[in-house]
Amino acid sequence: MLMHALHDEGVELIYGYPGGTALHVYDAIFRQDKIEHILVRHEQGATHAADGYARATGKPGVVLVTSGPGATNTITGIATAFMDSIPMVVLSCQVASHLIGTDAFQETDMIGVSRPIVKHSYTVFDAKDIPKTIKEAFYVATSGRPGPVVIDIPKDMTAPENLFDYQYPNEVNIRSYNPPINPDQSQVERAVDAIIKSSRPVIYAGGGAIASDAEEILYELNEIMDAPVTNTLMGLGIYPATHHRFLGMLGMHGTYQANMAMHNADLIIAVGARFDDRITNSPSKFAPKAKVIHLDVDHSSVSKIIEANVAVFGQVKNSLQAIKETLKERIQDYDKGVLEPWHGEIKEWKSMHGLNYELYKDESDSHQILPQAVVQHVYQITNGDAYVTSDVGQHQMFAAQYYHFDKPRRWINSGGLGTMGFGLPSAMGVKLAFPDEEVLCITGEGSIQMCIQELSTCLQYNLPIKIININNEALGMVKQWQDMNYGGRHSESTYKNSLPDFVKLAESYGHVGIKIEKNSELKSGLEKAFAMKDKLVFVDIYVDPSEHVYPMLVANNSLEDMWLSKDKKT
Amino acid sequence: MIKRKLILIMENKPGALVRVIGLFHQRGYNIENLHVDVVEDFAPYKSIEDKLNTKFEPNQISRLTIQTTVSDILMRQILRQLNRLIDVIAVSNEEATYFKGVLLDENLL
Ligand SMILES: Cc1ncc(C[n+]2csc(CCOP(=O)(O)OP(=O)(O)O)c2C)c(N)n1
Ligand SMILES: [Mg+2]
Repeated sequence: MLMHALHDEGVELIYGYPGGTALHVYDAIFRQDKIEHILVRHEQGATHAADGYARATGKPGVVLVTSGPGATNTITGIATAFMDSIPMVVLSCQVASHLIGTDAFQETDMIGVSRPIVKHSYTVFDAKDIPKTIKEAFYVATSGRPGPVVIDIPKDMTAPENLFDYQYPNEVNIRSYNPPINPDQSQVERAVDAIIKSSRPVIYAGGGAIASDAEEILYELNEIMDAPVTNTLMGLGIYPATHHRFLGMLGMHGTYQANMAMHNADLIIAVGARFDDRITNSPSKFAPKAKVIHLDVDHSSVSKIIEANVAVFGQVKNSLQAIKETLKERIQDYDKGVLEPWHGEIKEWKSMHGLNYELYKDESDSHQILPQAVVQHVYQITNGDAYVTSDVGQHQMFAAQYYHFDKPRRWINSGGLGTMGFGLPSAMGVKLAFPDEEVLCITGEGSIQMCIQELSTCLQYNLPIKIININNEALGMVKQWQDMNYGGRHSESTYKNSLPDFVKLAESYGHVGIKIEKNSELKSGLEKAFAMKDKLVFVDIYVDPSEHVYPMLVANNSLEDMWLSKDKKT
Repeated sequence: MIKRKLILIMENKPGALVRVIGLFHQRGYNIENLHVDVVEDFAPYKSIEDKLNTKFEPNQISRLTIQTTVSDILMRQILRQLNRLIDVIAVSNEEATYFKGVLLDENLL
């Protein structure tokens, strides 16, 4: 019945790992052929794979695990999805109903453990409720502000001898849950008033815009407005990075021009973004001259950190559409010519301290490989059209800064929780969704080791991902903070020559490994890796370990206060 | 920090209460007084029924009264986040009532 319901819900793939309380369900999986099950090597991998699948496709990811340790191993992945509002349904099996609360073997109160990191959760108390529960869970996970939903299923609820009349509900109605869909026109008018009055606007778009598939409408609106656009780490790709109005990412490691534009703006249009502390720096010093229009589907995100002057609630896509229509009607009042001085100022900022996107052209061996140049080469070789997953650390920031995403859902990373270990399993989820697309994982030698066991899953399901391991032989981001704030004391951030030989490791998992140490060999090495279309290639690239990520916001200050290099501050 | 009273109308379902309490606990706030009743007289909530286009049945909803001491800003945040919980129908404090994130004119208190 569970499998029927999942199939009727449109599920094609489940990521999971079996165990005692899940055996009935696994037997049902064996006896059907509509839904494919991917056997991971660790339940954390299952959640990240489902998450990567969800981010790339927009469809909910589905995870199936056994009770106790199987369930608790999903916690990091659920928290990751929760922080980034990713639709996911986790089916966690449970000990039989009559054993609940008795400290039975492999019993964990999964509903209790996961409570703060789920959008909602359900326990199946009666097997007849399975279809309705599945329907509701998928609805809650995917509607409004999406998020993970856990369904706890005691073993007796899936017992094969219990047969019921099965009917999958056509619709759901949860009376206490009605996420806003269309914006209130009076708010839209107020937003357009503010847009018309502004001469220094910035559009600031985040993950919520991607969740709502707002790329086209955002583009169309800005064809009229002609405003500069910046994206959060989660929003990369929602506006084409190669567009001349794109400022780059903003925030902690945002570009100089993006942070300066936000700080000096007279109007910030926040589109599905939540003014996270990595964006605002000190909220009291944030964008002192700006009015804020906030478009969001979640009431609790608006005016949480930064007070909104105009709040437009609804599906972000619909709100943008309404603003576009209204602005069009009042187009005689809108003069994009008044933005010219603003564009001029931004151009100047860009030329002063913009990022250097041509580092890759220097192929000499006079210096070690620069991590930034690795990303630039990868961008060139893949024509900027790959699905790129990442982990957490310096390599992640370099990837976000130097790979230019022109389309949404191509940049897959754990923005909110910052989960090391996310990169490889999420790349599996993407590759399973899009087997013909180039999928690569830009990672670090620290992060990749957190879910390295999934290399075995990649062999089993023949997933020819490219792993770009930016190897600085250290927990680079930690080390950078220690350099900057702790007098260079590298407490527990290096491994003292104990790293594995990644080439041999990849080979022992049945894949190809390539090691690159010289700058002059970087380009050819990467080209060789990408030429092996049907192989997973692990490219282990030794880079200059002393590199830092810049710009970097100076803590507890405004967005104009940035470190631009090791010894230069704005 | 001011002593405050909050009223919630929510679905009478297992797990609903602990989700509400969790939001206070997470921020380190103590709940000084807590009272839950199953609602039997729906008359005061007629407007909510109308808005939801539903009819409450006996035993379906509960009314939760909470007393706690928190700052203004946090109170507002908690109100909104309580509202985000799937089983919560409406939340009210001394000043305002939120119904699915929208401010209502009438006060439940
Ligand atoms: C699971 C987890 N543990 C710890 C951290 C804290 N942390 C953030 S970045 C980082 C270093 C990552 O090292 P590596 O993957 O080699 O990337 P690099 O910064 O060197 O590029 C650490 C430990 C984290 N984000 N996630
Ligand atoms: Mg490293």
